[in-house]
Amino acid sequence: MKKSLFVSATAAAAVVLALAGCAKPPASSSGAPANTPAGGKTSAAAPAGGFKACMISDTGGFDDKSFNQTSYKGMEDAKKALGIQTASVESKAASDYATNIQSMVDAKCNVIVTVGYTLSDDTLAAAKKNPDIDFAIVDNYDPKYAEVKNLKGLQFNTAQSAFLGGYLAAAMTKTGKVGTFGGQKLSTVTIYMDGFAQGVQYYNQQQKKDVQVLGWDVAKQDGDFTNDFSNPSTGLTQAKNLISQGADVIFPVAGGAGEGALQAAKASSGKVNTIWVDTDGCVSAADYCPQIISSVYKGMDVAVQKVITDSKNGTFDPSPYVGTLQNQGTGLTGFHDWDSKVPADVKSQLKQLQSDIISGKIKITSKAQPTS
Amino acid sequence: MTRSSWWTEILTTIAAIVLALIIGAVVMVVSDPDVLDKYAYFFYRPGDALAASGDKIGSAYFALLKGAVGSWGAITQSTSQAAPLILAGLGVALAFRAGLINIGGQGQAIWGAIFAAYIGFGVHLPLVIHVLVALIAGVLGGAIWGGLVGWLKARTGAHEVIVTIMLNYVAIRMLAWLLTTPAFQRPGRTDSISPIVDWTATFARLAGSQLHVGFVLALLAAAAVWWLLERSTLGFALKAVGANPHAAATAGMSVARTTIIVMVLAGALAGLAGVDAALAPSDSGVPVPLSNGIVGDVGFDAVTVALVGRSRPVGVVLAGLLFGALHTGGLGMQGAQTPGTVTDVLQALIVLFVAAPALVTRLLPFLRRRAARSATPESTGALT
Amino acid sequence: MTPDAPEAADSRADESLRLSGITKRFGSLVANSGIDLELRPGEIHCLLGENGAGKSTLMNILYGLLQPDEGQIVVDGVPRVFTGPRNAIDAGIGMVHQHFMLVDVFTVAENMILGREPGTLGLINLRQARRRVTELSQQYGLSVDPDARIENLPVGIQQRVEILKALANDARYLIFDEPTAVLTPQEIEELMRVMRSLRDEGKGVIFITHKLREVRAIADRITVIRRGAVAGVAGPGESEASLAEKMVGHQVSLTVSKQQHEAGDVRLRLSGVTAVAANGSVAVDDLDLEVRGGEILCIAGVQGNGQSELAAALIGTYPLRSGTIMVDGRTVDRFTTKERIDAGLGYVPEDRQHDGFVGSYSVAENLVLNSYHKPPYAQGLALRGGVIRSNARDRVAEFDIRTTSIDTEVAALSGGNQQKVVLARELSRELAVLVASQPTRGVDVGAIEFLHKRLVAERDRGTAVLIISTELDEVAALADRVAVMFRGRIVGIVGPHTSREVLGLMMAGASVEEAMASADVTTEETEGVVT
Repeated sequence: MKKSLFVSATAAAAVVLALAGCAKPPASSSGAPANTPAGGKTSAAAPAGGFKACMISDTGGFDDKSFNQTSYKGMEDAKKALGIQTASVESKAASDYATNIQSMVDAKCNVIVTVGYTLSDDTLAAAKKNPDIDFAIVDNYDPKYAEVKNLKGLQFNTAQSAFLGGYLAAAMTKTGKVGTFGGQKLSTVTIYMDGFAQGVQYYNQQQKKDVQVLGWDVAKQDGDFTNDFSNPSTGLTQAKNLISQGADVIFPVAGGAGEGALQAAKASSGKVNTIWVDTDGCVSAADYCPQIISSVYKGMDVAVQKVITDSKNGTFDPSPYVGTLQNQGTGLTGFHDWDSKVPADVKSQLKQLQSDIISGKIKITSKAQPTS
Repeated sequence: MTRSSWWTEILTTIAAIVLALIIGAVVMVVSDPDVLDKYAYFFYRPGDALAASGDKIGSAYFALLKGAVGSWGAITQSTSQAAPLILAGLGVALAFRAGLINIGGQGQAIWGAIFAAYIGFGVHLPLVIHVLVALIAGVLGGAIWGGLVGWLKARTGAHEVIVTIMLNYVAIRMLAWLLTTPAFQRPGRTDSISPIVDWTATFARLAGSQLHVGFVLALLAAAAVWWLLERSTLGFALKAVGANPHAAATAGMSVARTTIIVMVLAGALAGLAGVDAALAPSDSGVPVPLSNGIVGDVGFDAVTVALVGRSRPVGVVLAGLLFGALHTGGLGMQGAQTPGTVTDVLQALIVLFVAAPALVTRLLPFLRRRAARSATPESTGALT
Repeated sequence: MTPDAPEAADSRADESLRLSGITKRFGSLVANSGIDLELRPGEIHCLLGENGAGKSTLMNILYGLLQPDEGQIVVDGVPRVFTGPRNAIDAGIGMVHQHFMLVDVFTVAENMILGREPGTLGLINLRQARRRVTELSQQYGLSVDPDARIENLPVGIQQRVEILKALANDARYLIFDEPTAVLTPQEIEELMRVMRSLRDEGKGVIFITHKLREVRAIADRITVIRRGAVAGVAGPGESEASLAEKMVGHQVSLTVSKQQHEAGDVRLRLSGVTAVAANGSVAVDDLDLEVRGGEILCIAGVQGNGQSELAAALIGTYPLRSGTIMVDGRTVDRFTTKERIDAGLGYVPEDRQHDGFVGSYSVAENLVLNSYHKPPYAQGLALRGGVIRSNARDRVAEFDIRTTSIDTEVAALSGGNQQKVVLARELSRELAVLVASQPTRGVDVGAIEFLHKRLVAERDRGTAVLIISTELDEVAALADRVAVMFRGRIVGIVGPHTSREVLGLMMAGASVEEAMASADVTTEETEGVVT
């Protein structure tokens, strides 16, 4: 047994050596061994006053290509900008949430960000127990949070930005039909679909057109769902379905599953295009940039970075944050490859719409909008 | 099963765990860019790379051990994680002994959780009675979902693997749908989360720890399954049907009836795992509200638990404790900034080595000699 | 692999396959001890021994599947070391396995190519393989359709394919491992013809068996193996009794001493029994039969004429299309298997491994496989381990089941002892009717004698005994009446001393009258056993 262990250890070492063993050591530490703390990744840079920001994922994990990942990026951005320490824990089951929050409390975090509505109970309980630590929860708010002074809900009125996306889609369609589908019938999903549909409707009103929305019925609050946030093949099915009904601009609201719509668009060789969701698709799914007219972003990274920054600066404010067009917590990204293809008048109309929504001249009607 | 082959199985399992830990260590080093960077100048200063690797592996496994069994709190956390794994693992193991491959633990556990949670928050009953009613409802939920598989198989000959996988999807979607209905959605919320279960329906726990009724239930269930398999007429028929259904049928046992009973019981056990997920207090002291991820991956982890536990009740308890400890320790390891996925890798490797004993004996030849020796008396009989 | 240069130089006189001093141990067990064996081209050498005597171990050594601890294999004067079957095949040794090594879904020609080097450019030359099949078929009189799929062929023909495979590898020495165990009397006759023709073509044939009749019919030389060592060498003229004594180690009686017994009331009555096979063909066709208490009725017939389906339909594991089955006047055809067992129906299945016992269960557990749920073995839901074990000790003693312990897995026992477990289980209950299919198939001589005695004893207790057998020796030894089954029907019922010739004709479908007429006999009043 000993012999075999030795053999495998040697083999492993040999592989590593064979790959790369001949480079020179970093010049800075000439002769003396590198000074590495025994915790690996825990930031080696001189901590700024020992401030530590921490994050707990929901069961999706930080590599979910969705809100966990974007929120994590926000913390990484804050780390770069502020030179603070960070720590994070992924949850594998709902029963892990409380344990993980506690482990972050034990790790002496100054601000703890939890991701997703499923953590709301445990986050609130932890906030009550630890009044000295600032808490924030992404994509959730509950009136009960007012009971404590150290918990901030981060929400996004994406109906506003999706409205712009809907208007843009209606302006770009050639078939007079646009489509959308969701990952699951959750308020954070349907809010996009509501806004999108309203944007199309507004376009019809303004331009005396009759562009149809497939895949979402605002009145019935029902439509097409993949029931999946990660498997692109489910999104592909939904997209093909919409295309077969005549839609040529598709707005997938299904996280990673929405990639199926990008695949379908790519396969159509230019006939079908998309408006991406949550992040700038030309960055997160760069291969598909030619198929993405624009993206309706949800600035979770921005919000997370801001809450960490505020906490560090002692300006943490427990009142709920709502990302809007006004504070740029949500909005439409640039047009990238489509910059030349989107007519100038559409661009100026979008600018006008944006200020009309901010001013309240245009009322967004989605019931899924954050109430706070 | 001779004594020596029983011993060989234990040795193989331990060897599998050790091998998994070694490979896990390599994975950790390779996946950490800071450590890997030091290998770039290995020939100039090997001390750097080795020290960094040693630190990395040492601190990670220390954190794993500390997180899993380092304190009374950690130990009870591990037992609370082990409880649903043991329960669902027993469900898979029991079915397996009857020759049925039950991949449906997930769906059965989900129904157990739905029923138990609904009674927990939707109905208000006195102490003790409330938790009992919720528990029975959850067990029924799982039993019905499992029994459906048995019925379909016995009645139509549908293969249980296909049926259980499909019924998992149905259960997952049903839960997602139920969570959008007013009966299940928490008032004032638009997201898929239920109210919190009444305290009267919450599993009691030992103060200041995570040792709760769920773990006791798991041990009782294991004892009951042991008795069923080894000492009861039903177990006799069940194992006979699993080992040779033709001979069992010829001896007058009803394969169809046994199949249905086994799947009802397997579903009930997995349902109990769902009950545990819905009613056991989490670290915060209250149960996790019903949500889409309420049971985690317990139905799939159960298959690995049953496999590593060799489908025997004692083995399932030990495997459940091992994986429960790995889970808890894995959270602790993340605290030491080692990705939690390393524990997933460990778990997968253990299962791989246990499922492919030939791989272990190839890596550790002394086990092969042992296995060959122990198998000799039987093999001669077959050769002549 | 090894060039066969020396062989070419040798004179024909040196051609032989010689095993000398072969010893093989498995732990403390000595499977082969100093065995010498010689095979010359143009002879059939029988290797006779009981199950477990070490015949298969010896042949596995010869075929390279096992390596001997001591001893030498010399082929045509050249000592050889075989590390695998490939070496043995290259040395000109071919094996016809007991369990065929054929791929069911492939055709005959495709199976011929299996395991052989592919042709040029890795292409499989199917046309050439097909031609080779035809050539060899004609040369040895083994007609086989090269394009038939194995799964559609009868067992006897599948065996021919195995033989052809060995011949296609240019085998000069052929080993037949228990080739008759799976064959019907007619197929055995056919196989013997083939073996003779192989011998006449100059091949050396080793024929492994435990059946004395076959040995005497075909052997040029006989080597008897007992407990891993050569117990004697004999010529074909040696008597069955003498061979049996060498094989078993003590005197055996080959006939069952059976008193005349008065038959009582009808205890099993079948009328209009019809069963349909999965492919839609009628397996049991409107069959009527009565068996009285205190008599043994044997159903003789060529395998595949509906006997298996009839037996399974009686115990309820095969669906009945129509007809009634009555046990002691009660209609049982709508009963479940369990209810039939409770009604006093005993059953010894044709394929004991498949239907008779659970291999991973212990002797004790298998002895209560159909009564574990009833008192005294169970109390409510709980098994009573003590009672089950004491029952096992009694049965092991009574039936002389050779096992190291009552906790030994039945799969580890020899075939004969496995069958004793099945019989002990059935005969220890109070029975009205016993249905036994091929009760001694694959069982060694010593055990056959014992099992036959027990079956007769059961008859003497007043049970109606229905035995289904394809072995005419067995039928002759046991039957009070013989019913011959052909294509799902009983073509006639005759007395126990009916000649083999008449029975053979009836098994081919002739009625009693036709068979008697063409055989030109009435009943053969010989000494009880038709030989």
